[in-house]
This record gives sequence, C-alpha cells and structure tokens, in this order.
Amino acid sequence: MEKVAIVGYNQVKLYSDANYGRYEMIFEAVRGALDNAGLKKKDITTVVSATNDYYDGRTISNSLTVEPGGGYLADESKVEMDGAHAVLYGLMRVLSGNHKLAVVWGGSMASSYPAHTVHLYETDPTWERPITYVSDITSAGFQMRAYMEKYGISAEEIAKTAVKNRKNAVNNPLALAEAQNPNITLKDVLESDIYSDPVTELMVAQPCDGVAALLLAPEKQAKKITDNPVWITGVGLSQETYYLGDRDLSTSKSMELAGKMAFQAAGINDPNTQIDVAELYEAFAHEELIFIESLGIAEKGKGADLNAEIGGDFPVNPSGGALGGNPLCATGLIRIIEAVKQIRGEAKGYQVKNVNKAIASGQIGMCSQNNILYVLEGDN
Amino acid sequence: MGRQVCIASAGFSEHASKRSDVSMPELVSEAIKDCLKNAPSIEINDIDMFVNGNMPAFEGANIPELWMTDWMGARNKPLMRVTTGGTTGGSVAIAGYYSVASGLPGVDTVLAIAFEQQSQGDTATGLASVAYGEISVLNSLGIPYDQLTLLFSAGAAIGVASYQATNYMRKSKTTEEDLARVVVQNRHNAAKTWWAHLKMPNLTIEEVLDTPYISYPLRYGMVCPASDGACAMLFTTEEKAKDMCDIPVYVNGVGSIATETGILGYCGSGSGQLDPSEQLGAQKTSDVAFQQAGISFPRKEIDYAEVYSPFPNQELMWVEKLGLFEENTASEMYETGVTALNGELPINCSGGVNSTNAIGASAMERPAVAALQIMGKASNQVPETVHTSLGHGWGGYINLITMMVMADEPARKFK
Repeated sequence: MEKVAIVGYNQVKLYSDANYGRYEMIFEAVRGALDNAGLKKKDITTVVSATNDYYDGRTISNSLTVEPGGGYLADESKVEMDGAHAVLYGLMRVLSGNHKLAVVWGGSMASSYPAHTVHLYETDPTWERPITYVSDITSAGFQMRAYMEKYGISAEEIAKTAVKNRKNAVNNPLALAEAQNPNITLKDVLESDIYSDPVTELMVAQPCDGVAALLLAPEKQAKKITDNPVWITGVGLSQETYYLGDRDLSTSKSMELAGKMAFQAAGINDPNTQIDVAELYEAFAHEELIFIESLGIAEKGKGADLNAEIGGDFPVNPSGGALGGNPLCATGLIRIIEAVKQIRGEAKGYQVKNVNKAIASGQIGMCSQNNILYVLEGDN
Repeated sequence: MGRQVCIASAGFSEHASKRSDVSMPELVSEAIKDCLKNAPSIEINDIDMFVNGNMPAFEGANIPELWMTDWMGARNKPLMRVTTGGTTGGSVAIAGYYSVASGLPGVDTVLAIAFEQQSQGDTATGLASVAYGEISVLNSLGIPYDQLTLLFSAGAAIGVASYQATNYMRKSKTTEEDLARVVVQNRHNAAKTWWAHLKMPNLTIEEVLDTPYISYPLRYGMVCPASDGACAMLFTTEEKAKDMCDIPVYVNGVGSIATETGILGYCGSGSGQLDPSEQLGAQKTSDVAFQQAGISFPRKEIDYAEVYSPFPNQELMWVEKLGLFEENTASEMYETGVTALNGELPINCSGGVNSTNAIGASAMERPAVAALQIMGKASNQVPETVHTSLGHGWGGYINLITMMVMADEPARKFK
C-alpha cells in the first residue's frame, strides 16, 4: 500500500443536547480541520461524509450538507456506516491517484432522534423487528453474558473498563460532560440502571451530538502540508454474519479478520509489543476486552488482566473511548483522530509516552457486526 | 499511485412494480447470480470486497445489508455501504472502481451491488422527508408554514422535474410532442431488454399525449414507473479481467461533482436563485470524467450513452449538459433518429430510467448497460461496435451527479 497521511483533523465538543445546528457543527469540524492543516476550501478535491438517513431523519442525508462539509464543486460521496469506514473511502480515493486532498467528516445529533429506537430499523424486518426482542441493547446483553460465561469473568472485571474510560474522559476536554466523572467507582457502574442484564447504564457508550473531520493527502503533498504527518500503514475490515445464533459472541470474528488484514499490510506480527496505544470504538465496556483479545493483544479471556491505563502496559482508549461520548457516524472517526493526537504528541492531559504506532477502530451493527481497524504511524 | 480498473461483468434482476415473489435479499442475489453467470471463471468466494447501497427510506430498513450479509455472499469479507439518494447506484459503482484502483492489499476483485424493492414501502413518503429537511432552514429564514405546499411539491421528484421541464422547454423551444417522442423511443427499447419494467413495443406519440397531466408538462404516460430490482457489477484489475471475460471494459474516468442544494429556485444553504435545468454539477462532472478519459470531443468520441432520466425532459437536458449534443438541439436528434439503436449516437437502449426505475439501482444500471454494450453482451445490443460509452446518474436535491466513462482500451497509464 502506498503512503497516505492524515494531515489535519478537528472534532467539535460532544454534547448530549448541543444547542446549535447540524450545519454549524459540520462547518466547525471541517473548517477546523482545514485550519489545522493551514489549507483552504479551494484545496479540497474530494469530500466523503458519514451520515445516516435514519439518524438524520431524512432521505439523502448528505444532500443538504454539501456546502457546510466543503463539498461544493468537489467530488462528493457518502458512506452510510461509521466515520471510520468513510476514512477508508477517502483513503481509497487518494490511493487511486485521482485526488490530492480528501476531506472525511462524519457525525449525527442523537438529541434529535431516539438512538436506540432507530437501531431497531437495522434489525431483520420480518422476524426480529416486530417483536423488538433483539436490539442493539439486548444483543449487548447476550454478548456480555456469552463472554462472561465462556471465560468465567465477573461483571466487576468488565466494569473496571467502564471506570477506566470514564476517568480517562475527564482529561479530554472534548468528551461528553455526562461521561466525565473523576470519582466514579466500580459500585457506581454495577449499581447503575440495568439496560439489558448484565449490561448497566454506565457500561453503555451514550449516543450524543458531535461531528469530526480529518484530511488525507498522498505522501508528496502530505510532507509539504505538515511537519507531523501521520501515515496510514494498514487498514482492514470485515463483516460477519447477522444472526446472533450463528455467531460466537464471546469473541469478535470481524475484528479478528480486520486485524489480520491491517496488521499484514503494516507488517505487524506482534501487536502487543509493536503497537504503543489503541483507540477502539467500544459501544459497550465489554467490547473493549473482546476486541483486544480478538486482535491478539491479550490472550482469550485475559483481556481484563491487561493493564490498559494511560501509564499501563498497553494503554487502550486514553481519550475515554466511545464511553466518553458516542456521536454515531463520528465515533470511529474520533478514535482515529485520537490516535493521531497520541502520535503527534497533541493529546494534552492524556498523552501516552513515546507513541509512534497506534491502532484505531470503528464499527457498526449489533455486537459489532462490521469492524474496521487502522494502523497509524508517525515519522519517528 | 492507482492502477487500471476493468469491469468484467454486470448483471440484473428482473424488474417489476411488485416483485412479491422474492424478498429483498433474494432480489439482490438474483442480480449477483446474473452478474457472476457472465464471468464463469469465478465464484462468489473469489470476491475480495463488497460495495453496496440503496435508498433505505423506501423499504423502511436501515443499513439492510447487515441482515442481508449471507445472501450477498459477504460473510467475513470487507463490505462498504455507499448511499447518496438517486445517485446511489452510480456512487456504489464509483466506490467499486476506487476499491480496485486504490490497490489495497488483498483487494483485487470487487462486487458492487445496488438495489431497491420499492413495493416494500411508499416511495412518495420516503421522498417527502427530502422536503421536511428544509423546514428548519425555512424557519431560520422566517418563511411561514403556509408555503408548505411548495415544499411538498418539491419533495416528490415530479415537482422539481416539472420546473426543470418548463425551464428547459422555454429555453430550447421543445414541445410536448418532443417529450413524448423520447418516451416512445425508451419504451420501445425497453421491450427488447429482458430485465426492463415498462415494455411497450407498440406505443405511439399520440397515446402518450392522450394521458392526463400529473404536473404540467409531464403526463402520466411520460413518467417513470416505481420498480423493484437490483443490479450488480464486477470490478477487477486489468490482468484478472482478461481471464474473466473476452472484452474487459476499462473504467477511464469517474466523477461525482456536487453543487449547491437547490429547491424551487431558492436555496436554503446556497447562494440564491437556481435554474434547475442548468445543472452546473453535470457540466463539471463531465469535464472531470472526460478529462480523465482523454476525451476532448464527446460528440464524436462517445459511441453510446446511458443517462439518468426518469422524465423525458431530463434526457434531452442531460445529453446536452454532458456535452454529447449542442445546447438546445437534443430534441432534433431524437426526431432524426441519431439517438436510436442504429443511430449515430444511441442513447438509453435499455429503455433507461424512464422505463425501469428501482431507484437505488437505477444509477448503477446506466454504467452497467454502457459496459455491456462495449462487451457486446447488452440485452438490446447496438449493431455497430461500441468502443467508448458513458453511464450517468442524478439525484440529491437536484445537486448530486455521478458519471463513469468506459472504453475497450485504457486511457491512462499507471506506473
């Protein structure tokens, strides 16, 4: 794979109910990314957005965002998945040689739609939706239960991850205020409302309002644009089958395959030692553990034993992860941006020491049916 | 950077207003099977990546390929969903092109799939939200709700199309008879296309003009149907395509230039008055795509074109805006037979969107047919050899365009 760099980024502050409009938010994110790289609107040749017609409550959700997203008279398209998937399309557009600067942005406003209800429209319309038994929340219950039973893991061990991420979010000024809690305890997590047993409220990444954007450029241009390019050296993605009964929910097949594809491209054979930090899109606390096991960073069933704190053996989600705020269609994109910050040494307040290689992931679907993983590297 | 991309095959499901004999996944797999049938050396397992899309509002199913994964054959494979409204099919095809062109490790052969089963839902309801989206803008501009009627007429496609039609007719002196002639040519062509929806081999101009108006100047007989259907295209590298088919079709140029969001002449987030028949995006897109494909004189160099025209006035408009004919001359070309099957520059020999419109799939069916015409495998094959062709798509709030320029020879060189 030829070298493409992330040359600029921006994310708006996450709110559970942002008191300003969608277009202002998109404009702020995209304009901020351009300013971050010292570029102008006229430099954009292609724009890839990530929005969802159901989340935005209208057909052709990208159509009205052409101007604020920088797409006017640019080659424009939309990926209706996570923002991290839109980055893949932006990357492919740059790799093709047709484009020298791609803007990728994604986001939604959960305050304007009932997020978990909307997810019901993603279930099988014939067998599952009418009885609403299977949803993003109940499936997470099945997933966490399957993981606990298979490896004899307690809810406390999983709640530890929620505590870690919510504490990490405190130092991230852009994280969701409701997720930032410096005094959170295991007890708080375990005793919060039950969403779907054994998943409790504080183990859920709360959908919120937010938009993020980043810029991609090929090697030659990237070196001119910035002194701190962050290279995408590997990317992998995979979609597993849908029906929960056909899947082993104690692991993530799609993350395993995504990891294999990305690590192969980036020449990584021992992620635990070669990668310095991970930013993973965990829609629920237990998914972070399942993901690091599926990626081979921890042994199966031993994810909770890994010290994933900022100063730990293998820091995971120093920014607070998706538990620090989950603006659908932007969350995976924000993970990539956070990994870029770590590599560039710009993660003020939650910087991991000596980061040169990082991984970041995005996902969609029940029990993370489709995962995408990036390997990012700095110049050092 | 980049590499040569070829289309090795394309396939369709049968189209009808109600394909109640199949579910949506079955409809999709029909198109995939037809696509792979034309490339017998490979199987579904040989596909490295899937790209797909539809307009999710029409079936009431968000991201439906989540539960359709296995029917597509995409289990444990990379999959990307691209949706852009009316241009969805074209955007999916372009994403298929980029997936191969990027040279991602392990990704050589990509199946692009676009589909719509409109009988599952109500298309007009799905499109109404296009108008609702503007309400917030209206409020911020202080425009009262009593203009909601305007909004609703904008929301449905016919609203904007009739404004386009009257604008275009005023400038080009086109008559209603000219519009009917386009329809007749399309429906005759559809009769010779196995997968098409409205097959009317004996339709006459008088019969079209005898139907009632839906919105002046568009009559019932001129309007596209709402179809159920799917389309699939197989993109791969130059080397692999040579093994898969006799005549690999090189994708030489792609473009999808967006312009400002425009509804009924005022523009909530844009600069002001828009003439919906002007279509700056189409002009810019064709400039980009033709430039990539090394085409300087499209009128002379393009042998075949499939343009996206649910309504006949749009067909006349597009062939001009894409540079295939001089401004205001298109209706004359239809009258003199230039655009007919055996004409100098055949247009929409599949019957076009005017005869078959499974919305999410429509903008992919254009490049798919244009590619099959080069391979010599189209259902209603042009008698003269086709060397270069184009497939075009249109959608959004009249502001999105897709275009793919193809040929039997590569136009660009890669290292």
